[in-house]
Amino acid sequence: MTAASPILSLQAVQKMFGPHAAVDSIDLDIAEGEFFTIVGPSGSGKTTLLRMLAGMDQPTSGNILLRGQYINNLPANKRPTCMVFQSLALFPHRTVGQNIEFPLKIRGEDPAKRKARALQLMDLLRLPQNYYSKNVMKCSGGERQRVALARALAYDPQILFFDEPLSAIDYKLRKTLEKELKDIHRETKKTFVYITHSLEEAMVMSDRIGVMRAGKLVQVGTPHEIYSSPNTRFVSEFVGDVNVIPVSLGSKNLLKSGLAPKGLKPPRVPEGFENGHLVIRPEYLRFLAKAGDADNALTGRLYNEYALGSRIQYQVRVGDTVFVVEKLRQQPFTGKLDDDVIIGWDAKDAILVTD
Amino acid sequence: METRAVRLRHSLVTAWTLAAIVFIYIPTICIILASLTASRYFQFPIARWGLDWWQKTLNSIEIRQLLSTSITIALCVTVIAVTLAFFGALAFARYDWKGRSLYQKIILLPIFFPQSVLGLALLLWFNTLGLPLSWKTAVFAHLVWIVPVVTLVISIQVYSFDPALEEAAFDLGASRLQVLREVTLPVLFPGLFSGSLFAFLLSWGNFPLSLYTTGADTTVPEYLYAKMVAGYTPGVPVLGTISTIGAIVLLLGGYALITALRRTRASE
Repeated sequence: MTAASPILSLQAVQKMFGPHAAVDSIDLDIAEGEFFTIVGPSGSGKTTLLRMLAGMDQPTSGNILLRGQYINNLPANKRPTCMVFQSLALFPHRTVGQNIEFPLKIRGEDPAKRKARALQLMDLLRLPQNYYSKNVMKCSGGERQRVALARALAYDPQILFFDEPLSAIDYKLRKTLEKELKDIHRETKKTFVYITHSLEEAMVMSDRIGVMRAGKLVQVGTPHEIYSSPNTRFVSEFVGDVNVIPVSLGSKNLLKSGLAPKGLKPPRVPEGFENGHLVIRPEYLRFLAKAGDADNALTGRLYNEYALGSRIQYQVRVGDTVFVVEKLRQQPFTGKLDDDVIIGWDAKDAILVTD
Repeated sequence: METRAVRLRHSLVTAWTLAAIVFIYIPTICIILASLTASRYFQFPIARWGLDWWQKTLNSIEIRQLLSTSITIALCVTVIAVTLAFFGALAFARYDWKGRSLYQKIILLPIFFPQSVLGLALLLWFNTLGLPLSWKTAVFAHLVWIVPVVTLVISIQVYSFDPALEEAAFDLGASRLQVLREVTLPVLFPGLFSGSLFAFLLSWGNFPLSLYTTGADTTVPEYLYAKMVAGYTPGVPVLGTISTIGAIVLLLGGYALITALRRTRASE
């Protein structure tokens, strides 16, 4: 996905608040037309990073380059970029149409042209045309979202930034809007840089994801890479439920763990690995008829089950350790609560991380 | 049975409300009645009704001078107070800066200072600085007390202002001045408007500060007081009524304007 010449380049970008580095030496290239999502827990520095990219804050050190041009000190109103705010920041004293036309009015375009463009954008975002003169505060949450996006698109930015705009919206609508946003991305072919604390949200929309932790970018990759080969325990635990077993490398290339006295068969072991964690996604764990049916097997008690719709999740307790096992609803399983069960996984389906 | 109890409760509530309103308005009504007498002295019940004193008052050059002084002071105070208080309110409620919490306390102190003492203190200062007393010094004196009040009034509006609105406008290409004109001022307008009403009415009705600081000029409240102390004529209630009606018209007009504005904003 990374093109030859990135639209946005970060070189050792750092932001200090007193002695504390909110953003700590980040290098990153974002490709033209990419949907790039920065994800991290609150306080990880992602908002600070985005504000620097949008021109609302300036880095303490490092360079931000837009198509190779140094833009560290270029203020937000001079940058060909635009941001959709968490609060959306719609102008409450203006109608839907006036909100969308705002950047065009500032640019001094004539009213007829402005209106035509606004209606065109409303059409793109599936806002009814009669909303043009509707009070923006009377719109629903989803409609406001679309107005905010239309207003940003009216600016015709080269890059669109999103500061968790969907965080205040209820689950079902959020899922719809996530997909819509990805559709809009395809239609407009613009570069989108999105930040969120939800890796699930990031997965749905992004071409690439950067995971942030304590001001540092810990992993950058496609949603698939982030999900199936996280490089740290932190990244692995960031999406959905995950089983993490502390292990160390023992003899005969087996992993030592308190759970299995005989040792566990590892996936590919990284060079120089000694201690770390074995990460197994719930869908790779399965119930076994007998211990030999998978590379690794553990015996535990079926403690609880949760229906997730298309899938069913089980809680299995092996000693004091809780395991999460998931299977599709249509797969047969006759286990009942408090039964003794054997769970297992194949060595290649687990991931070994060093921290 | 229940409907009777409800009806009884309703009538009691109505009676109580009416009683409260009557008590509040009796003084005002008495002043209006007192202004409608044709006799020279204050008598109750009124023996002879007439509009003589209204005519005399409205034709009096002295009264016109009083009204014009009071209006001039109130208008000057309104303009200056709202301008200062607007920026003061931004510092009060919008921006986070070192010393803000101290500023928030200090700015409110003049409100709690007894006005008559404040007036005297200002008089001493004007004398020390050698400033001749006139309606201009009164404007200054009013500002000392009114700016904090208006700052507080506007701050309430500023607290509900989302700073992201300004950032969004700036991000969409607006200059700082355009942000102020297109976003900050219009969004804060209701607060600025009620702030100016407060400023005007507080200055219009102010007596203790004017008493010390107007010098040779006289405002309506000062004149009324002087006439009450010595030389009462029914011109006093006439002027009092005019003053009250003026305030009512201003308030109702302001209310109507704000409602009309809301309606245009809310319309579809």
